[in-house]
Amino acid sequence: MKRIILSCLVLASMSWAKNVPAATDALYQKECASCHFGYQPALLNASGWQKVMGSLKDHFGTDASLSQKEHDAIVTYVTQNAGNSKLTQGNTTMRISQSPYFIKEHRRIPERLIDQPEVKSLSQCAACHTKAEQGDYSERTIVIPNYGRWE
Amino acid sequence: MKKIFLMLSCSAVILLAQDFNAPMKAYMNELEKEAKAQDASFERFDAKRGESIFTSQHIGKKAQEMSCTTCHKSDLKATGLNVNTNKTIAPLAPSANAQRLTDVEEVQKWLRRNFNDVYNREGSALEKGDVLTYLINQ
Ligand code: HEC
Ligand code: HEC
Ligand code: HEC
Repeated sequence: MKRIILSCLVLASMSWAKNVPAATDALYQKECASCHFGYQPALLNASGWQKVMGSLKDHFGTDASLSQKEHDAIVTYVTQNAGNSKLTQGNTTMRISQSPYFIKEHRRIPERLIDQPEVKSLSQCAACHTKAEQGDYSERTIVIPNYGRWE
Repeated sequence: MKKIFLMLSCSAVILLAQDFNAPMKAYMNELEKEAKAQDASFERFDAKRGESIFTSQHIGKKAQEMSCTTCHKSDLKATGLNVNTNKTIAPLAPSANAQRLTDVEEVQKWLRRNFNDVYNREGSALEKGDVLTYLINQ
């Protein structure tokens, strides 16, 4: 019995990487999905989100500043739903795409498939992960433009 | 007869011209007061000046040449593209997208951000009034 519970737990902790809860917060969608796909809070750890939210005026070279009220509401939402998994472990940056696990998972993708106009950078999750909006990153949903299914 | 014709065509022009809603009008009045306070010779906002604010190139936040049309395109009725992220932007012209220039907070927020991106500073009251006067007629 103990074994079964244990393997269930292991399975559960493995499946996280493929599925994260969708970002359903309306304010988050309005403010944080206007320039790019709305990254789910579970993709980054709390300290990463603090860094992102503390530097919106110079957000990866663009101004994404918010009014204080919206800023505070979004900080609460992202930190309360922040990730704590293989994907977020050891990530000291404010980029999801810089986490050690993320780098390992994406290192086999040829550069030409990433910097092509249809993708632009690894930050554009939804360009390849066709169910990214729902928080589904499983391999069978991956279709890379001008390449096709990854499986 | 001529007079009637003139009156008719005048009202047609008025009907065709886009207009701000009440909250946006109040915001434009605020900008006008501010512009007057900053420069006593200020008369009125000007769409022509607004157009050159929108189309001219500047060294932006990323130390690269860009303009408002870099993302919003020269044809404001067309779909734009955010060059930083590849995400499409719905048309900015109110004639093509009735939502545009109707929400003061939304307009203030994007003008603040977008002026910083393109001009590497915020826009003055005069610049914001001019550019909105240009945009409302698109
Ligand atoms: C004005 C446009 C704009 C807005 C608004 C915006 N972002 Fe971004 N964001 C960007 C750009 C540009 C990048 C860098 C993309 C790249 O490098 O390809 C980025 C990247 C990111 C990344 C890193 C992605 C990676 O590579 O792992 C995170 C996290 C992020 N944004 C979160 C947010 C959050 C949270 C909000 C809302 C508070 C927000 N963004 C609002 C433009 C924006
Ligand atoms: C250029 C296309 C591309 C982009 C852009 C991309 N990915 Fe991926 N991703 C892949 C591929 C391909 C794999 C599978 C790698 C493998 O198994 O060899 C993958 C794997 C993953 C996995 C592991 C899934 C599993 O089965 O365990 C996660 C999680 C993930 N990606 C999240 C993201 C996130 C979040 C973003 C955006 C910040 C992103 N990806 C951007 C192509 C992409
Ligand atoms: C880096 C890309 C980019 C540049 C450059 C840019 N914009 Fe924008 N702009 C956006 C995005 C993204 C939005 C919001 C997306 C949406 O509402 O569809 C936006 C929204 C706006 C809005 C809000 C309209 C409304 O009522 O919804 C105005 C006004 C505006 N921009 C004016 C400007 C002006 C003026 C400039 C030049 C100083 C400029 N933009 C340059 C990306 C850009």
